[in-house]
Amino acid sequence: MTLALHVSHLRKVYGRHGTVAVDDLSLDVRPGDFFGFLGPNGAGKSTTIHCITGIATPTSGTIEIFGVDAVKDYREARKLIGLSPQEFNVDNFARVTDIVDWMGGYFGMSKAERKARVDMLIEKFDLVPHAKKKFRELSGGLKRRVMLARAMINDPKLLILDEPTAGVDVELRRDLWRYLQELNRDGKTIFLTSHYLEEVERLCATIAIVNGGKIVRHGPKAEFVDEPGGLEAAYLRSTGAEPDHVAAP
Amino acid sequence: MSTPDGSINWIGLWTIIRREWSRLMRVPIQAFLAPWISALLFIFIFGFVVGGRIALIGGHRYIEFVLPGILMLNIVNAAFLQSSSQIYFSRFLRYVEETLVSPLSYAEMIAGVLCVVVARSVITALGILMIGVAFHATSIENIGEFLFWIVSVAAVFGLLGIVIGLWANNFEQLTILNVFFITPLSFIGGVFNTVNMLPGWLKWIAYVNPFFYFINGLRHSMIGFTEANEWIGVGVALGLFAVLFLSVLRLFSVGYGLRS
Repeated sequence: MTLALHVSHLRKVYGRHGTVAVDDLSLDVRPGDFFGFLGPNGAGKSTTIHCITGIATPTSGTIEIFGVDAVKDYREARKLIGLSPQEFNVDNFARVTDIVDWMGGYFGMSKAERKARVDMLIEKFDLVPHAKKKFRELSGGLKRRVMLARAMINDPKLLILDEPTAGVDVELRRDLWRYLQELNRDGKTIFLTSHYLEEVERLCATIAIVNGGKIVRHGPKAEFVDEPGGLEAAYLRSTGAEPDHVAAP
Repeated sequence: MSTPDGSINWIGLWTIIRREWSRLMRVPIQAFLAPWISALLFIFIFGFVVGGRIALIGGHRYIEFVLPGILMLNIVNAAFLQSSSQIYFSRFLRYVEETLVSPLSYAEMIAGVLCVVVARSVITALGILMIGVAFHATSIENIGEFLFWIVSVAAVFGLLGIVIGLWANNFEQLTILNVFFITPLSFIGGVFNTVNMLPGWLKWIAYVNPFFYFINGLRHSMIGFTEANEWIGVGVALGLFAVLFLSVLRLFSVGYGLRS
């Protein structure tokens, strides 16, 4: 079986001082999986995503997307991925439809393909009244929706969501969860990082916890939630924190 | 996706051009009107105010002699500013990541930037040329040669702008090349005077200065005046383009200034 994502011995060292952000990290994501990637701030989650998507260059190790080498054959690998990043990496003065449309253009989608897909996504994320607005004129939640629409323009086989619901209201969060579950049911592989454990527990089938640049635990969701204290206690234990303050159910 | 393996992603390339053109059109006064007004002022001062008091140069009025140099200065500035600011701001605001995560080749990314650089430079140049012709301040001897110089010089300084845009970490660094390299060399390169008017030691600097060949070539295409073999200039322009293009391609492929 070809894995959706195969990361082997990934190492990423930053700068002259040799700050190790990711250290010998290996993980596999099966096709169709909803994969939760958890860890405290600075654990190496975003760096791992950046290496997978081409925003950062791995220091060593290999990354394969559906069997395609993400470094050597980067153009083919990129076609299979959609990324919603943690930070808004967008031209602030561009209009919403342009941001989504341009991304489709980079992926080589024809004008007709883009038009249909942009219209669908703009409607899906309730962006119709804001379609002609500049990105800088939007609220935080609306900006997050634009990031999600942009990530999905190429209908990627592997959707990578780096804290996609940070700063969005409860309604959108629920809508987004439903949409992601729908996509996953239709066979899309989703790789999600989030600080909301409720979100991960609700959506993901497999969970990996990263700390200090290394995977410290990896397994089916049931293994985590069936522990005393549930996912939160399992997470805190894995990251070296004491789960003594976990609220009673 | 519609792009087969290994082929050129034409739609992706066209999208970079569309995006950069829309960004450029947010500042049309700065991009186009400013150099045209500046050319108009030069024509007024050198053509009608001080020009009559300066002797003919090679049989040409001073405004005819000086306008190609002024046009070249505008092209160099337009090309350099377009690409350096595009790359720098795309890094600064991080929207360069949009292209990094997409299936665009590095050559396509560079070509997209250069196409807009060349378009801006050609429009700027044709505008100045038309103003010059309208005010009897210049003529055009060879439009093909004229366009060669505009396109090739724009491409060279567009590539140089990309290098600086990748290297700069603040606005100050973005202007360093312009202040310490482009402006002095262009002035020594014969914008306002012939090389023969320079003191002996400065003449040698002019002869190894690419600006001299660029301005000389453009002047030849406009009024037929030349101080050097134009083919040397053609070689310098094409050589610089090849070296800079390969260098920029290498910088993109190693991710210099682009990837962490």
